[in-house]
Amino acid sequence: MVSIVVIFALSLYVAIAVLDQISIQIGPYSPIFGGAVTGLIMGDLKTGLIVGATLQLMTLGVATYGGATVPDFLTGSIMGTAYAIIAGKGAEYGIGLAVPIGLLLTQLDILARMANMFFQHRADHFAAEGNYRGVERQNIWGMVPWILSRVIPVVVGLVFGQAVVNAINTFIPAWFMMGLKAAGMILPAMGIAILMRYLPLKSYWPFFIIGFVLMAYFSKTFSILGVALLGLAAAGVYMMNANKTQPAAPAPKPAAKADPSDLYADEEVEVND
Amino acid sequence: MTKLDAKDIKKVYWRNIFGLQWGWNYERMQGLGYSWVMMPVLKKLYGDKPDEMKKALKTHLGYFNTSQPMSHLIIGADIGIEEATGMQDEEAIVGLKTGLMGPLAGVGDTLFLAIYRTIIFSIAAYMALSGSPVGLLLPVVGGILLLVLRYWFTGVGYKQGARLATEFAEQMKTLTNAASILGLSVVGALIPSVITYTLDLKYTMGKVTLNAQDMLNQIMPGLLPLGIVLLSYWLLGKKSMNSTKLIFVLIALGMVLGNLTNIVNGIAGLF
Repeated sequence: MVSIVVIFALSLYVAIAVLDQISIQIGPYSPIFGGAVTGLIMGDLKTGLIVGATLQLMTLGVATYGGATVPDFLTGSIMGTAYAIIAGKGAEYGIGLAVPIGLLLTQLDILARMANMFFQHRADHFAAEGNYRGVERQNIWGMVPWILSRVIPVVVGLVFGQAVVNAINTFIPAWFMMGLKAAGMILPAMGIAILMRYLPLKSYWPFFIIGFVLMAYFSKTFSILGVALLGLAAAGVYMMNANKTQPAAPAPKPAAKADPSDLYADEEVEVND
Repeated sequence: MTKLDAKDIKKVYWRNIFGLQWGWNYERMQGLGYSWVMMPVLKKLYGDKPDEMKKALKTHLGYFNTSQPMSHLIIGADIGIEEATGMQDEEAIVGLKTGLMGPLAGVGDTLFLAIYRTIIFSIAAYMALSGSPVGLLLPVVGGILLLVLRYWFTGVGYKQGARLATEFAEQMKTLTNAASILGLSVVGALIPSVITYTLDLKYTMGKVTLNAQDMLNQIMPGLLPLGIVLLSYWLLGKKSMNSTKLIFVLIALGMVLGNLTNIVNGIAGLF
C-alpha cells in the first residue's frame, strides 16, 4: 500500500511539474526529474534516476513543436518508477511500463487542451463587456485542467498501485515484457529521427556523420560532451565565415550578434562543470 | 498618451514567463494567455477608455502561438506600439503578432526545444545513469540563463520596436544555422550511444560459434542503431505517419527483436 503522504507529495510534485512544462521549463517537467523525485520520495533514488534517465534518453528530441501533443512521458516516468519500487523488480520493470503509460495518458493532455476552450469562450464574453478582470481570471482558471490531467492519473495509479502491479505480474506474459524492454532500447530512434527531420540535415549532414563516427568508433575516448564541444567549434567557424561574407551589413548587426553567441558559450561552460 | 515605466515592463515579463500557456487551448492556443500577459499594460493605457479596452481585449484574445522564449520579442514590440499609438492602428498590431509568430516559432523551437534540450538533457541523463543526481542541476542552471535571456528579449522588443525586432529575428537565423551544426553533431553522436539494443543471436556450427552482433560490428559499429534511426527517419517522411504512430511501429519492432532468439529457435525447430 502506498502511503497517503507519498500520494500527496507526488500529486503536489506533478502539479508543479506540469506548470513548469507550460511555463519556465526549468527542470521538474522532464522525465529525468520525474523519476528522480519519485525515487527520492519513495526511498529508492537510484531506481528513480535510472528509470528517469532512460526515459529521458528515449524521448530526446520529442518536444511539443508548435503546441502538438506528445505522449506524457513525465507521468509515465513517475508511475514507472513507482511501480518498479512497489514491485521491487528493478528499474527495467519500470522502464517497460513507463512507455505504455505515457502513451495512454496522451489522451488526458488532449482533453485538458480542449477543456481550456471553455475558458477562452468565457474570456470572449467578458471581453465584449470590457470586463478585463473577468478575462484575467479565465487564464488563471486555465491552470486547473492542466493540473487535473496530471494529478488524477497519478493519484489513481498510486492508490491502486499494488493491485496494478499484481495484475501486471499475473496477466502480462514474459515475452511481452521482453519485447517492451527491447522496444525501450530502440525507442530513442524516434526522438533522434524527429530531430533529423526538424534540423536542417540536408544542409549540414557532414556534421551529423562526424558526430556519429566519433561515438560509434571511439566511444571509449569520446563522450557526448566532447562531441558537443567539437560541434560548438564548428558552429563558431560557421559564425566567423557568415560574418565575413556579409561585409555590407549595417553597423549594429555584429554587436547584436555577439550577445546570443556569448550566451551559448556560457552554457557550454556550465555544461563543463 | 500614457507613458509606461520599467515596472510595467517587468510585470509583463513575469506574466509572460509564467502564464502565457496556462489557458492554452486548441482554438486560439496562446491567445488567452497573451491577453493576460498584456493586461498590466492594457490596464494602464486603456483603464479609463472602455472602448479602446474592449478593442484591445478582442485583439489580444485572438489566435496566437509561438515559441515561448521568442514571444518576449513580439510582446515587447507590441507594448512599444501600443504605448505610442494605442489601439488606433489595430491592423499594425495584428500584423506584427501574426507576421512574427511563425518565423520566430521556427527559430525558437530549433534553438530552445530541439538543440538546447537535446544537449542539456542527454548530458544530464548520462550522469544520472552512472548514479549521480548532480546532472539534474544542468537543466536548472540552463533554464535560469534562458530566463535572463528572455528578460533581455523583452527589452529588445520594447526598445527597438517592430522593425528592429524583425531584423533581430533575421540575425537569429545565422545563429540558428550555427546551432544546427552543433545540434546535428550531437544528434549523430547520440545514435550509437543512446540506442543500446544489441543482437543476442549465436549460431553454433560444429566447433565454430558465430555471433551475429560481432559480425555486424565488423561491418561498422553502430550499424543496427543507425539502421533503425534511418528507418524511423524515412517513415516520418511519409504523409500518413506521425511520431505517435512511429512509437507503435518501434514497439512492434521491439517485440520481434526482444524475442528474436525464441523466434529463430522456433523457426529452426520447424525444420
